[in-house]
Amino acid sequence: MKIWKFIFKRILQTIPLLIIVSFISFFIIRLSPVDPLAELRLNPSISQETLQREKTRLGLDKPIIVQYGLWASSFVRGDLGVTSSGEKVSTKLAERIPNTLVLTLIVIFMTWIVGVPLGILGAVYNKTNLDRILTVLSSVGMAIPSFFFAILLLIFAVKTGWFPVGGLTSFDFNDLSFGGKILDLTKHLVLPVTVLFTISLAGLQRQMRANMLDVLDSDYIKFARAKGLSEGKIIFKHALRNAINPMITLLGFEFAGLLSGAALTEYVFQYPGLGRLILEAVMKSDINLVMASLMIGSIMLVAGNLLADILLILTDPRVRGE
Amino acid sequence: MFKEILKDKFAGPALIILLVMYLCIACANFIAPYSKDFSDRAQAYAPPSPVYTVTAEGKLSLPYTYNYVRVFEPKLYQNVYKLDKSQKHYLRLFAKGEQYKILGVIPCSIHLFGTDKGGRFYLLGTDINGRDVFSRLLFGGRISLTIGFLALFILFPIGLLYGGISGYFGGWVDILMMRFAEAVMAIPSFYLLIILASILPSNMTSAQRFALIVVILALIGWAGFARVVRGMVLSIKNEEFVQAAETIGQSKLGIIIKHILPQTTSYVIIAMTLSVPSYILSESGLSFLGLGIQQPDASWGNMLKEAQEYINILYRPWLLTPGLLIFVAVLCFNLIGDTVRDILDPKGKLR
Amino acid sequence: MKKILGLVLTLFVIIILLGVLIRKDDNNSGYTFDTADIKPNPDAVAINKPYPCPKTKTIDGVDYLQSQLPVGQFGGEYVTSTIGEGPKTFNPFTSTDATSSTMADVMYDGLFTSNPMTGEVIPKLAKGVKSNKNGTKYIITLRKGIKWSDGKPITADDVMFTWNDIIFAGLGNTSIRDELVIAGELPKIRKLDNYTVEFTIKRPFAPFLRALSAPIAPKHYFAKDRDWQKNFDRFLATNTNPKDIVTSGAFRLKEYIPAQRVVFEKNPNYYMINKNGDRLPYINKIIYLIVGDINNQILKFEAGEIDDISLRGGDVARYKAKEAHSDYVIYNLGADNGTMFVAINLNNRKNKDTGKYFVPQYKQRWFGDRNFRKAIDYALDRQGMVQNIANGMATPLFTAESPSGIFYNKKITGHKRDIKTALAYLHKSGFRLKNGKLYDKYGNRVEIDLSTNAGNTEREALGVMIKQDLADIGIKVNFKPIEFNSLVNKITNSYNWDMIILGLTGSPLEPHNGKNVWSSAGPLHLFNQRSAADIKAGHIYPLPWEKRIDTLFEKGALCTNFNERKKYYDEYQQIIYNEAPIVYLYSPIRIYAIRRKIKNIYPSTLSGLTYNIEELYIDKEFKK
Repeated sequence: MKIWKFIFKRILQTIPLLIIVSFISFFIIRLSPVDPLAELRLNPSISQETLQREKTRLGLDKPIIVQYGLWASSFVRGDLGVTSSGEKVSTKLAERIPNTLVLTLIVIFMTWIVGVPLGILGAVYNKTNLDRILTVLSSVGMAIPSFFFAILLLIFAVKTGWFPVGGLTSFDFNDLSFGGKILDLTKHLVLPVTVLFTISLAGLQRQMRANMLDVLDSDYIKFARAKGLSEGKIIFKHALRNAINPMITLLGFEFAGLLSGAALTEYVFQYPGLGRLILEAVMKSDINLVMASLMIGSIMLVAGNLLADILLILTDPRVRGE
Repeated sequence: MFKEILKDKFAGPALIILLVMYLCIACANFIAPYSKDFSDRAQAYAPPSPVYTVTAEGKLSLPYTYNYVRVFEPKLYQNVYKLDKSQKHYLRLFAKGEQYKILGVIPCSIHLFGTDKGGRFYLLGTDINGRDVFSRLLFGGRISLTIGFLALFILFPIGLLYGGISGYFGGWVDILMMRFAEAVMAIPSFYLLIILASILPSNMTSAQRFALIVVILALIGWAGFARVVRGMVLSIKNEEFVQAAETIGQSKLGIIIKHILPQTTSYVIIAMTLSVPSYILSESGLSFLGLGIQQPDASWGNMLKEAQEYINILYRPWLLTPGLLIFVAVLCFNLIGDTVRDILDPKGKLR
Repeated sequence: MKKILGLVLTLFVIIILLGVLIRKDDNNSGYTFDTADIKPNPDAVAINKPYPCPKTKTIDGVDYLQSQLPVGQFGGEYVTSTIGEGPKTFNPFTSTDATSSTMADVMYDGLFTSNPMTGEVIPKLAKGVKSNKNGTKYIITLRKGIKWSDGKPITADDVMFTWNDIIFAGLGNTSIRDELVIAGELPKIRKLDNYTVEFTIKRPFAPFLRALSAPIAPKHYFAKDRDWQKNFDRFLATNTNPKDIVTSGAFRLKEYIPAQRVVFEKNPNYYMINKNGDRLPYINKIIYLIVGDINNQILKFEAGEIDDISLRGGDVARYKAKEAHSDYVIYNLGADNGTMFVAINLNNRKNKDTGKYFVPQYKQRWFGDRNFRKAIDYALDRQGMVQNIANGMATPLFTAESPSGIFYNKKITGHKRDIKTALAYLHKSGFRLKNGKLYDKYGNRVEIDLSTNAGNTEREALGVMIKQDLADIGIKVNFKPIEFNSLVNKITNSYNWDMIILGLTGSPLEPHNGKNVWSSAGPLHLFNQRSAADIKAGHIYPLPWEKRIDTLFEKGALCTNFNERKKYYDEYQQIIYNEAPIVYLYSPIRIYAIRRKIKNIYPSTLSGLTYNIEELYIDKEFKK
């Protein structure tokens, strides 16, 4: 029961956070010199009614704090307004969010599968050449500008013909069998995943290595060693569990980093995700879309952190005890 | 500390490379054969000038080069560059070139290298406007390599003070301040970055734009930093020397600044070296998208824009050099950062 | 051990250094591309090879349109691409952007279309047209027995509905309606029987028949709901279920996946047949991949993912060189309908709200001065722009019509860059050059803001060149690219700009389409824009030459004889050249690459490559 209470409390805590986030994003955008309806005004196919509807929805003639209230209440009700071309913002976002989620979740999964073992290796062989090489390699991965790497990979795809050039599905996707669909998606995802994986692996590997070093240095491991347990048993039975727990908190941050990092990668790979949407919206000063995707991005991020925390509560009894 | 870094197998060379880079950009006016705006439109996308040391007759000679002439090849539908072999242009050290001002005051027209009069020497070819890529790399480096540091100099005092106040005062102040910082952290940073950059008014001078981008970069990073500082302050404030200072009746702000914050120096140094690279990458990404430093100013990011074009990657590889430089600079910072951390914090306590 | 390693390493470095430093000169010119390798492609078809237009063929009482091209094979897909964000609507009457219009063209046919070789108007959905002698009455007969994609017949009711209830009623995008206000009145339309309608116009109007190329809407689908008029803007939005959409064109929508692609499938009821009497189109599916930018498009073509591409100047060489050994053909379609220009702001009005001039008065004196504008005209290096920015793949341009147009005034040959002439013009108006800086006769330094939309590499590079060119006559140019919407806002609302680099696409067949730009009351009369309120109130006050252009457009539209029309349009181009309110720079040359497996291509300078999409087929036996 205590667990549920704890989780409930944690969920409640995110609400003020989201309110502050919305405040910040709202004021940044509204205080900018850009007229939020300029794009709509210039589009001859937008009727006067739509324009009027938007004006009242945003309350542009009222003081800014009232505008915020109007915006927030319509946001809560799920009315995110229309884009500069007159489409509903909510449908646009709904199209993109799953794609971004797929991409980021795969990358997180991959980095964990690879990063955790490498981190353990680094810690176990601390200060040896293997450790140094791992650190340098991860530095190399971190140093490549993601967009540049993405461009080079695209050229690679063109030259070898092994991978499609950007996008998410082939044009005959809907006619494929289930297996064919999976294969098609995989082929499209390999390159963007590679880019994001390369740039985010380093952080995880380092963190894992540091945690492991901490744990290996602790008294109970020393005690276990003194008891004469084999090194393998010490590492996998005792140290690993304790080293991984703090990593779960990191999940949320990793998700945050990926959301940001994915924007440029999505842009170069023409991947139909949230990052590319917000980039395009920003380029066109499509205020409603920018505002909504900024909020949704933040909500996803907060939700990711929340999930990580809940996971931690469920797996680590110490957190509950505190 | 410098000695220790220099001794390191990886960080030593990295430090030397970085120092050379900074020296080069500091003396960009002197090293670059052309100014950043010098352009010869008849020489757009000219390849790097060839340097010969053996003449066609097989005799050894001082290094020389030829000028390019552009010819339209109707069969190819394309401009091609041919060497004008009628006139050799010898390379000179300390050649006379365009005038510039040392430290903005003393006029000077000596460049590290160049050719004799009438010659053109493009070490790394030219871009679409016929501007020397090598020279622009140097001038672009001035922006790309300093923007991160400048942002840090704004961000760190803010973060330190914010974290210090929040941690020291505790209670409601702490909760409010931390909630705000967390909210800033909860906005995907790159989204925030491009949005802030895009709402910059378009009628700014390039110096203003540069300054505002520095500020924006700083705005993104302070919150995370402040949070860590607060954590450290929480543990430091119970130490005896702080309590001693309190009993003498020092002002609270004074205690934070004079007694508590100096204790975080190690962390600050580590965090600084480790976060410079991410600012360099952010600036390049921003300029690559056209939201950062804009033409005709050069930065490595906006120079890389041309590397988006397939044809350029295939046939004009010299346009990729900014990407290489970003990579090298960031890698060097990372390697040094790792070593600095190992030196200052061998047990990995600060994180 | 370490010492040996060090020695080896040092040696290695020295060898590399020597390899770099010692380089032998030879006698070739350093240029290695072997042009002898470039052979003409055997498959390439001469441009403007006469295209036999389809003819009406009646079988069992159905008036089919029969293709006159060789019979092809059925099946296959044609994959092409569209740059940008994809269509914003599938409603052909509300679309304003190029992508949406392209999608509409695939799905909806109009009564008429243009002959791709000569440009004359030929029937499409209509079977034929008869007009009275003075050209004020058009009787249009429709094809009998042809059907919409859902099997319902296409009749005069649909035509009446389209023109009366949608276009003339002012629903959606009103540009066609606005163009057809002839002598203050809209044409009248009358149904004579189920397959005949009659249009009556007040005075003969040359562009009239071509205007009837507008798509025809299925009444039973568009007017299905009672309040369809109210919801018209949202009708056929991109989230419409593809199965519901009823079309008349060769294809109907199969699926639309935002930010990825639009897929069209064959319309089984299409009214066109081949020589064997089989129903066209040959191709099963057309796929438009939505690509973000031209770089990605090139990559997709290179990887074989798309079947055609419009090549930029800089890219042509690579594809031309590889053409003979590749699976594509390159067509040079000549000058584009697009134009690149610098507009100068002649606005001399005041902002009614603030009482201030939109353009400061001292600048008005420069821009309003023909000599000043001509000086800019002469100072610009069009040849250099063509060479650098378009890589030689463009023609310098001196007036509003593009050289591909049938009304292009060939007598305007233009001039080379000429600083002396430019300075002479300036001198005439009292400008003086001091230490390389230009001052007007009141002593003001001549300094101009130049702008264009940020993100367009071509225009940004142009801006840099114009800045340099004008520096040679002492004008200081502040060049600043800004976001597209701010730019449009400046042009259409705030009018506070000096010079702007822009491009517009005109029609090669109908100069009257340029009326929105050239009429002094036009909504896109950017160089001297009157506000909507002023236009409504009739406060236009055109300059003498603006007035003359207004007259010429009016006369040109009301005259139906080509040679007589051409005289009017020649004069308007001459006026633009003389007055230079817009200084034209160049018109790009269109180069297309298309896969060789696609047959029945009859390239046309007027209509491009795939205007006869229903007749194109994919050669299955084709091997590289």
